[in-house]
Amino acid sequence: MPVVRIEFPRFSKMVGEDRRKIVDRLPYIGLDIEGVGKDFVRVEYSPNRPDLGTDFGVARAMRGLLGKDVGLPVFRTKPSGVRMNVDRRLSSVRPYIACCVASGLELDDEDIRQVISLQEDLHNGLGRRRKRVAIGLHDMDAISPPLYYRGVPASFEFVPLGAKEPSSIASILAGTREGRAYGSTLVGRKTFPVIYDSKGTVLSFPPIVNGNATKVTTKTKHLFVDVTSTDLAAGDDALAVMATTLAEAGGNLKTVLVKYESGARATPDLTPIGVPLDLDLVRSVLGLDLSRKEILRALAKSRMGVRGGKALGPRYRVDLLHRVDITEEVALGYGVDRIAPVYPPSGQPGTFNPFEEFLDAVSTVMAGEGMVELMTYELVDEKSLYSAFQRPSSDKVAVQDPKSLDHSLLRDSIIPSLMAALTGNAKSDYPQRVYEVGRTYSRSESGVAESWHLGCLVAHSQSSFTEAKMYLEALCRLVSEREIVTPAGDHWAFAQGRCAGIRVGEKELGFVGELKPEAVEAFGMGVPVSGFELDLSALYELLK
Amino acid sequence: MSSALHPLERKILSVLAPLSSAPFEVIVSAASLNEDQVRRALQWLSSKELVTIGNTVERKLEVEKEPPELELVRKVSESTGLLTLEDLKGAFASPEEFSAALGRARGSGWVRVGGETVPAVWIGDPEGPKTLRSLLASLKEGRPEGELSPDQASLLPDLLRRGIVRRVENRTTRVAITDEGRRASAADAGGEFIDRLTTEALTTGSWKKKKLRPIDVEAKAPRFYPGRRHPVRDFIREVREAYISMGFTELEGGSVYPAFWNFDALFIPQDHPGREMQDTFYLAGLSDKGLERKGLVANVAATHEDGWKTGSRGWGYSWRIDEARRLVLRTHNTVLTVKALSESKERETRVFAVSKVYRNENLDYKHLAEFHHMDGIMVGKGLNVRHLMGFLTEFYKKLGMTDVKLWPTYFPYTEPSLQVMGYSRAFKSWIELGGSGVFRPEVTVPLGVRVPVLAWGPGIERLMLMRYGLDDMRALYGSDLSWLRNRRELAGS
Repeated sequence: MPVVRIEFPRFSKMVGEDRRKIVDRLPYIGLDIEGVGKDFVRVEYSPNRPDLGTDFGVARAMRGLLGKDVGLPVFRTKPSGVRMNVDRRLSSVRPYIACCVASGLELDDEDIRQVISLQEDLHNGLGRRRKRVAIGLHDMDAISPPLYYRGVPASFEFVPLGAKEPSSIASILAGTREGRAYGSTLVGRKTFPVIYDSKGTVLSFPPIVNGNATKVTTKTKHLFVDVTSTDLAAGDDALAVMATTLAEAGGNLKTVLVKYESGARATPDLTPIGVPLDLDLVRSVLGLDLSRKEILRALAKSRMGVRGGKALGPRYRVDLLHRVDITEEVALGYGVDRIAPVYPPSGQPGTFNPFEEFLDAVSTVMAGEGMVELMTYELVDEKSLYSAFQRPSSDKVAVQDPKSLDHSLLRDSIIPSLMAALTGNAKSDYPQRVYEVGRTYSRSESGVAESWHLGCLVAHSQSSFTEAKMYLEALCRLVSEREIVTPAGDHWAFAQGRCAGIRVGEKELGFVGELKPEAVEAFGMGVPVSGFELDLSALYELLK
Repeated sequence: MSSALHPLERKILSVLAPLSSAPFEVIVSAASLNEDQVRRALQWLSSKELVTIGNTVERKLEVEKEPPELELVRKVSESTGLLTLEDLKGAFASPEEFSAALGRARGSGWVRVGGETVPAVWIGDPEGPKTLRSLLASLKEGRPEGELSPDQASLLPDLLRRGIVRRVENRTTRVAITDEGRRASAADAGGEFIDRLTTEALTTGSWKKKKLRPIDVEAKAPRFYPGRRHPVRDFIREVREAYISMGFTELEGGSVYPAFWNFDALFIPQDHPGREMQDTFYLAGLSDKGLERKGLVANVAATHEDGWKTGSRGWGYSWRIDEARRLVLRTHNTVLTVKALSESKERETRVFAVSKVYRNENLDYKHLAEFHHMDGIMVGKGLNVRHLMGFLTEFYKKLGMTDVKLWPTYFPYTEPSLQVMGYSRAFKSWIELGGSGVFRPEVTVPLGVRVPVLAWGPGIERLMLMRYGLDDMRALYGSDLSWLRNRRELAGS
C-alpha cells in the first residue's frame, strides 16, 4: 500500500485542528496509521483513492469530515493557449497524451516532495508501473509552445534529467536503471515517443525519463504536466488527480489543447463524476433509517454533491463505479464509529465438514500415540524433496518466479518436510516422534491433483520398521473399519527389504518402512529414522 | 531431604558399617562405584549426619631422582676395563649434567681422573658416598625428617635445592560412619524390605512379610514429552467451533484454482498489481483449458469490461480468457465462499472455511508464504453493514478478543469495506485483524445472486501471536520441537 507523510504543524494549519484530533480521525477516512514520529505520521492509503496521495488531498478530505469545508470542491480552468500536437505513428506505441498547466505556484521543499511522491504512487498504482500511465512535471517557463508528441527513431538524442551530455534513446533503454525497469513496452520497436517544444527542447521520453532542460525546482512558478498513456480514461484519471492536487497547492489550472489527426480535445476535463443517488440502497446496505437530508449532509462531509437525482463526486474520485459506491461515502460522512452493530442470530445449527472432522480425528489419534504434530510448508526446495532421496524431479510441480528457492516446488510427499524438520531439531531430546496432516500435490491429466496425507517419522537409536508399523496399525484400527495389509514394497524414501506398501483391498494408500541410509545421511541425521505416509483423502473415499 | 536412602547411599553405608571408617579410595573400590558417585553420595550422607568426613594432611620428603654424582660412581664401579672420560660423558643425558656430576664426585674424592694416553676415570674412595646412600634409603622407607641422623640431615638442604629431594603434602580423606548412620544402614538392610512389588511377590503373597523399601520421592523423574496436536490446529478447532455455534456450515476445497475464481469472479481487474507474479504463486506451465467465455464466465468478463447488467461502469478494458485460465495457489479463501455462492441455490445461508492461503513473499517476522484465513459469508435478504459489524464483534469475542473496532478500508470486491481492529493487551496497541465488507453487485449479480452477501476473510496468525506472546510469525511453523513440546497448554485463553 502506498504511503503519505503528514507533517505537523504544517498539516494542522491546512486543516485547522490540533494533532491529537487529526490522528484520532485519520482511520475514519480509510487511512491506516503506519508510523508515528515526533513531528509527523505516516499513513497508508488505498490505491483506489489516489487523491489521498498527498497531504493536500488528505487535508481536503479531513476538512470535509470535520465539517469545516463540505460539499463538492469546484475546480475552475481557463485555456492556456498551449497546443500539443500528437503524431499518428504513436497510435500503436503509446497513443494518448493529456496535459495541463498550473501557474502561480510557490512550492516549498515539502510541497515538491509531496507532489513527487504522488507522481511515484500514480506510476505504480493507476499507472501499472508506468506501463499504462506515466506523468511528467516540467517548468513551464523553460518551454516554448506549441508542443509536439512525436515518434522518433532509437538514434534520437537528448539530455536526460540529471545528465550533462546527450544520450540516444537506444542507450537510455539499454544503459540506465529507468530504461531497464520501464522499457518493457518499448522493446523491439522502431518508433519511440518523445515530447518536445517548438525550439526542439525535449521535455520527456515517456514512460522512461524527462529531459533535463525543463527540470522543476523550488523556483518554478508555472508547472506543465504531461500524462502519456495506453488507456485514454486512465490517463485522464491520473491527470485529474495531479491537477486537482496542484490546485489545492495554490495553482491556477489552465487547459491544454491536445490535437490528434482525428480531432482536438482540451485537457484536463474536471467535470464531476456522477452516480445515481439511490437513497433506499444506501439505507438498506447500511441498515440505517436515514432521512434524505441526513444522507445529503453525510455526502457533503465526504466532499460530494447532489444534482438532478445524481450524487456527484469530484473528478479525482476515480473509484466511483456504481451507485453502491456512495454507501461508503454516506457511512464515512455519517461516521463509521456511530453505526451500532447488531448481531443477527442464526435460525439453524451449523455443521462441520465431515472430511475436515476426519482429518482432525486422525490428528487427535496421532497425538494420543505420543507424537508431536508439526505444520510445515507445502512449498519446499528441490534438495529436500528430490536430491536428498536420489529420485528424479521430472514430475515436479513448480511455481513461477518464487521469491525464495526454499519455497519453489509443491511437495508430493510429507516425509521430506518432516525429515527437514527433524534435521533442525538435532539438539532436542530423543526419541523424537512427529507427524503432520498436510496437503500434497501431484501431476494429473487435468493439471495438478491435490490430496491430504499423513506423514509420520520416528527418530531414535532403536527406531525400526516394527515401531513405525505399530503406530500405523494402531491409527488404522481407530479410524478405519477396513483392515490394512502391508505387502513388501519399494519406495524412494525407504530402504530395500525394510519397506512395505499400505493397502486396503486392492487400493494402495501409502508406504511404511525404515528411511534409507542415503537419505538419513543426506539430511545429516545421526540416528536411524522409520515412519510411514498414508493418503488420507483416498482412505476417506474408501470409508465413505 | 528425605529420610529414605538412595541406592548410592545404601551401598556406601554397607561398606562402612563393618569398617567404622575408611579412606575415600577404599570406599570407591569396595562399593564398585566411580569417584563422582561416591563424592555425591557422601555429600548427602554427611548432610544427614550419617557419616563424618575427615581430611588429614601428611607431610613427608620424597626422592625425585638419583643424584647424578651417585650415578657416575655407580657407572665407574660397574665398569670392567678402562673407562675413558669420553665414554662416560656419552652415558649422560647432557654434557652439563656430566660435568656437574664429575665435579661433585671428583671434589669429594669419590673418583679420580688420570691416564697416560687418554683421560680415564677410576674409583677414588669407595666408602665416600655412604652417607648420601643411607639418607636416600631412609627417605624412601618413609622415615620422617626428625628421625634422620645429623650427618644425613646435613646433606638435605643441598638435595632440596637441587630438586633431588622434595617436600610433599599428602591429603587423605577418611570417612567414618556415625551411630545414626549405623542405625539407618541396619534399618534399611535386612530381610523385611523389597525393592519393588513383583508379579511373583503378588502371586506367592510373599509381599505380606515385607515392606517396600522407601525411595527418595523428592528426586526428579526422567523428562517425558507427551504427544500433542499443533497449536495452530487447536486454534483452528476453536475457530471452527465458534462458527458452528453461530450457525455456519463448513466448506472444504482445494488450494489450486484458475485465476478466474481467485480474481476475476471477485471483480479484481486482470492488470491489478495484486495479480502479478511477485505477489501470487502461479503454477508453472499449467492452466485450466476447459474454462470458456460462456455462461457465468461470460457474465463476469462483461462486468469487467463495461459493467454488464450490474449497473457498474466496469473497469473499461478488454478481458482475456488466457489470464483467467492460469492456475494459482489461492491468495485468499474468498475463492471458496464465492464458488459455494455460485453453486448453491440457497438464498439464506452461512458458510465458512478455515484453510491455507498462499502469497509469493519473502519470509520475515510478519510475512509468510503460507498462512491461514478464516473466511465466512452470510447471505440473506435484509442483511446489512450493521449485521456485519454485529457478527464480527460477536465472533471475535468468542475468540477472546473483546476490544474490537471497525475502520473503513478498501477492497475491490466489497462496498462498503471494513477493517477489523483488535486491541492487544500483550502488545498494548490496536492490531489489524482482517478485512470484511458487503460484496459488490459486480461480484454477486454475475453469479445470479440478488440478495446481500456479507463477507470477511481475516487471518488467524496474528491472533495466535497475541495469544502466545510471540513477535515472529515464522515461530508458528518453525517445527521447533523444544517450543512445541514445552509450550503451555491453554496459553493466553
